[in-house]
Amino acid sequence: MSQSQLLRSTTFHMALVAAAVFALFIIVLFGFIKGKVDHYLTARSDEVITAHVEGLLGLSPELRRAAIMERLKQDPREVQIVAMFAADGHRITGNLNAMPPGLKIDGPAQRTVVPTDGPNGSRGRVVRAIARRMANGNVLVVGRDVDEAGEIAMVVGEATVLGLVPGFFLCLLAGGWLSMRAEKRVAHVNERVQRIIAGDLHERLPYGSGNDPFSKLAVIVNGMLDEMETMIRALEGVGNDIAHDLRTPLTSTRLILERGRANATNLEQLQAAVDKTIAGLDQSLSITTALLRLAEIENSRRSAGFGEVALGELLQEVCDMYEPIAEAKDITLTATIMRPSSVRGDRDLLMEAVANLVDNAIKFTPEGGKVELELLCGDGETILRVTDTGGGIAEQDRESVLRRFYRSEKMRHTPGVGLGLNLVAAIVKLHGFRLAIHSGPGGRIEIRCPDTSCESDAGREHTDAGIEPLLIPSRRQTGFG
Amino acid sequence: MAKVLLIEDDCETAEQITAELIDRGFDVEWSADGIAGLDRARTLLPDAMIVDRLLPGMDGLTIIEALRKERIRTPVLVLSALGAVNDRVRGLYMGGDDYLTKPFAIVELIARIEALLRRPSETRNTTIAVGPLELDLIERTARRGERIIDLLPREFRLLQYMMEHCGQLLTRAMLLEEVWHYKFIPATNLVDVHMGRLRHKVDGPGEPAMIHSVRGAGFILRMEP
Repeated sequence: MSQSQLLRSTTFHMALVAAAVFALFIIVLFGFIKGKVDHYLTARSDEVITAHVEGLLGLSPELRRAAIMERLKQDPREVQIVAMFAADGHRITGNLNAMPPGLKIDGPAQRTVVPTDGPNGSRGRVVRAIARRMANGNVLVVGRDVDEAGEIAMVVGEATVLGLVPGFFLCLLAGGWLSMRAEKRVAHVNERVQRIIAGDLHERLPYGSGNDPFSKLAVIVNGMLDEMETMIRALEGVGNDIAHDLRTPLTSTRLILERGRANATNLEQLQAAVDKTIAGLDQSLSITTALLRLAEIENSRRSAGFGEVALGELLQEVCDMYEPIAEAKDITLTATIMRPSSVRGDRDLLMEAVANLVDNAIKFTPEGGKVELELLCGDGETILRVTDTGGGIAEQDRESVLRRFYRSEKMRHTPGVGLGLNLVAAIVKLHGFRLAIHSGPGGRIEIRCPDTSCESDAGREHTDAGIEPLLIPSRRQTGFG
Repeated sequence: MAKVLLIEDDCETAEQITAELIDRGFDVEWSADGIAGLDRARTLLPDAMIVDRLLPGMDGLTIIEALRKERIRTPVLVLSALGAVNDRVRGLYMGGDDYLTKPFAIVELIARIEALLRRPSETRNTTIAVGPLELDLIERTARRGERIIDLLPREFRLLQYMMEHCGQLLTRAMLLEEVWHYKFIPATNLVDVHMGRLRHKVDGPGEPAMIHSVRGAGFILRMEP
């Protein structure tokens, strides 16, 4: 990574910001400590001088004078101020030449400036002082130099600055190192991602054993890649299925055309061959149409065209439509509307779904059987149930029936494209309903629509104890199906 | 001779459709892009139009909207790719026009164009008659000559639609849409079964057939064989 890149990297910028925040924090902390120390020292000085003045006031005048002298003698650093003034302001004794201006007599300890003659000449000193009038009218002043606090603050400040400068650079250094590390990992990940883009679906992102966010993210992304790889492989399988199902009618069509061209001796024979060809092509076409239709439904969103659909009427209509076909096969087709209810949805699509279920049921029910359409209520759902006396769907086949083109082996001879249930599943999913496939004997498929007004438990009594129906959408089946 | 304007940018498809329409005795004009097509529609004033949904220059639905604004009420058949049928396209169906999804069979297209051209006028007749066949729309009864035909409600609906479009080829898809309001083609040959029953009732023994199957296309109701 070049220097300019380093300076531009976000991680480095963040390190810079962190260093600045750190410096600011130290400065504020210093200010706070200084304030606290000042306050503490002032309070202590005040206590000391107040005690002192009370002590002096309690002595006899002679002893007081001696005590003042003694006190000044014991103060080589000259931090103490003790002085006595006559009522007219004239100094009687002490180390002050005159009453400090602004000092209130008989007030509490206060801040004041006193002129003093030190070895460095005359200068103003900031002191805390207290003044008391005595019984004889003289004024006693006791004070204490607080420059000490300032000195302590200076020392603390210097130490802070000395610590701050290396700390700041340490921060920058750490930031630079972290951003370099991050950039390196991103480059590493990018390398792998490029390989995946190039088509290597087995490639995965690198991750360490640690608990760092990068590794966690890599594990998450790898999980997604696993899922996508499975899906892509499955789609490839679908592609093969399509190719196979299209090839079968096309191959026979080609054969018919070839034979017709070689063997037909008159127009009628040729026309017969062409008719067969058209039928074969129609079958191929119906497969592509069914696939496109499936894609259309799967890609559409809940449209604004949804409306109230009266399910009872819909069921009755489908029943009416299929009744002649059922009768031709000697199958009893009935519709039982236990409770007329309506749902929000696309009427045409729901009709297509129900028609597909009925179509399937009639197709797979042997002659003399029964197909029942029911609309009932249970577990907070409106249940649209299609039951038949056919073979039903075996437990192990329940997931496979939703695979595209899947037709159980024993049904291979029955005409059909094998996309019917896919279509139903797609329509059900679009509406946010569920598809429940019960295992045999006898077929039973339900479209379950959430309906808060359905409280009764009518659905329960029919559910086989112990055998839970397969409920779609389940994640895996509908991810691409 | 009916004039049909075809607006379709795919040459292959356009050629096929044009050839078939000419064979059926139509006068066909062809435009390959939207803007030229709209101009043609204004000047030619065709009896019917076939418009592809996706066109260079101007979208097929926009052409129709433009024409309707100018109060040109030419019936239109829109060709739309499956998967591109949205509410806007479906709206056409409500507006008296029709749509067909690609891929389609050419007979389906011809049948629909003929249906568009011969849209039955809004009559207030309470009876319909085709030859000896008579329907009473109020009493909901049917008779052929002196013979009363006993029909179920759905059979009555089917026969009424066929009589309203007598002499026209009606495809299975058209019947499903118009009689049963199905917008899809079921896997089973539903229409054939229903038609078989109706035919059994309408064409009695010894009577000349009135309901005819057209191989690979659909059904037609007419008097002569």
